[in-house]
Amino acid sequence: MEAVRVESIRYVYPDGTVGLEEASLTIEEGEFLAFIGQNGSGKTTLAKNIAGLLKPTEGRVLVYGQDTREVPMSKMATLVGYIFQNPDHQLFNQTVYDEIAYGPRNLKLPEDEVEERVREAMEIVGLPESFREGHPFFLTRGLRQRVAIASILAMRPRVIIVDEPTTGQDFRQSIDIMDFLLKLNREHGHTIVIITHDMPIVAKYAQRTVVMAWGRILLDGPTRWVFSQVEVLAEAHIKPPQVTRLAQRLADLGVPPDVLTVEEMVGAVEALLSRSQ
Amino acid sequence: MAIIEVEGLRWRYLGSDWVLKGIDLSVEEGEFVAVVGPNDSGKTTLAMCLNGLIPNNYPGVMEGRVVVDGMDTREHSVAEIARSVGFVFPDPESQFLSMTVEEEVAFALENMGLPVDEIEERLEWALRLTKIPEDYLEKPPYELSGGEKQRVAIASILAMRPKIIILDEPTSMLDPIGKTEVIEVLREMKRSYNATVIVIEHRLEDIAPLADRVILLYRGEVLRDAPPREFFEDVDFLLEHDVFPPDVMVVVNELRKRGLYNGPIPLTLEEAERALREALGRR
Repeated sequence: MEAVRVESIRYVYPDGTVGLEEASLTIEEGEFLAFIGQNGSGKTTLAKNIAGLLKPTEGRVLVYGQDTREVPMSKMATLVGYIFQNPDHQLFNQTVYDEIAYGPRNLKLPEDEVEERVREAMEIVGLPESFREGHPFFLTRGLRQRVAIASILAMRPRVIIVDEPTTGQDFRQSIDIMDFLLKLNREHGHTIVIITHDMPIVAKYAQRTVVMAWGRILLDGPTRWVFSQVEVLAEAHIKPPQVTRLAQRLADLGVPPDVLTVEEMVGAVEALLSRSQ
Repeated sequence: MAIIEVEGLRWRYLGSDWVLKGIDLSVEEGEFVAVVGPNDSGKTTLAMCLNGLIPNNYPGVMEGRVVVDGMDTREHSVAEIARSVGFVFPDPESQFLSMTVEEEVAFALENMGLPVDEIEERLEWALRLTKIPEDYLEKPPYELSGGEKQRVAIASILAMRPKIIILDEPTSMLDPIGKTEVIEVLREMKRSYNATVIVIEHRLEDIAPLADRVILLYRGEVLRDAPPREFFEDVDFLLEHDVFPPDVMVVVNELRKRGLYNGPIPLTLEEAERALREALGRR
């Protein structure tokens, strides 16, 4: 089922800066995508157009068949949730409970349904019940980010866009948050879009990658294929993950040039060694 | 001679548990030290102990001793210590004060009361080292790209010619181009300016080959302190302590475990390529 259709949109910011030019793509329900590119490349502008936070200057964006210019914000919030890079940009309530309940209450859901959704969202992101009455600002950054995600999940949006989920996080925190997004994707059927500079994370988690530069989509395809397009990536000043670059340097020895992870690299070396015995 | 001496340092913020739990550390003049470790291990707290912000500006309890460029941080003001220790934050904008790049870099120099020709000389030197073109001088710092902003922030610290420069995750907020630019500046600093450099970083791909020494801070304690070649030898130990060694190190480590390679862990992509060629060459 088609979740998102972006039809040759152009987006111009109020100050005249062109954010997007001729951008088109479709996203099927259940995909896990990454948008990559330098700052100013248009990846966030594209994501915000998909979320309906920005409306295209020309062209149109359809989310589950509905034009983002015509869908009311309350309905839009149940279709696409946008999680900001800095959780503090979206937290404003006095307790964790009120923060997560804010969206469902705006949907005018009965309070027992609100309660149920808050409980469920807190469980999914791993926030203990005892946090309910705590003030979001007294939590650590990692926990505030979980509150931010829970408040989006409580709306049960079918598409979830996460802006730089691993920036400022350490190794363990990055893996935790990405494994959690993968779980939402695999077990709960959410379509996930991450916006990131973290190439190893893209290689490990995203099935499909969209490369942006100068407000345009340069590449759009399976992550494995995208990282093998060395020349186009160089134009966008993007380096494939270190392990992929290692494989590409060893192509003359028969190492596949589209290795994405450490496990694949080790497997490729083992295969080459056993073949020759 | 050691330019930084830390002995039995313990620190807790008002109302918190011990954040630093007995740190002993000695850094020689001219060393390039990388400090790594998961979040909330005390890396930034340790950095603030070295520039005197702790204990001078934070309420809390300190035990032990920190001596920086001959100054015991308990007996000297932050301003005095700042003459020896420059500090670069993750977010360059948080330290901008001026309307143009030129004013930003010259700001502290004017405050130091230096003669005009010396200010000009230092300005030119700092901009050259950080590769900021002359026509940027009149631009407002906030109009620059992320990498350029961080380079201006570094230039404004360098211009003061501190003996010690501490950079707290200088690339964490930058895009790939910006990261590369800042790493290039660090490389140039190491090459042409013999300052003592302490860098806090998560992503070690670019820092590992630059560092003379790597320190793992974990839950307020120094768990490892060694030259990079020795530090990265035990990849499993690092992974167990939530440190992310570069992928090529993990690859070679896995091959060693399987008996397919027995050389050292590579620090760079080039070294990894040689290691893999050797492993595959045994066919």
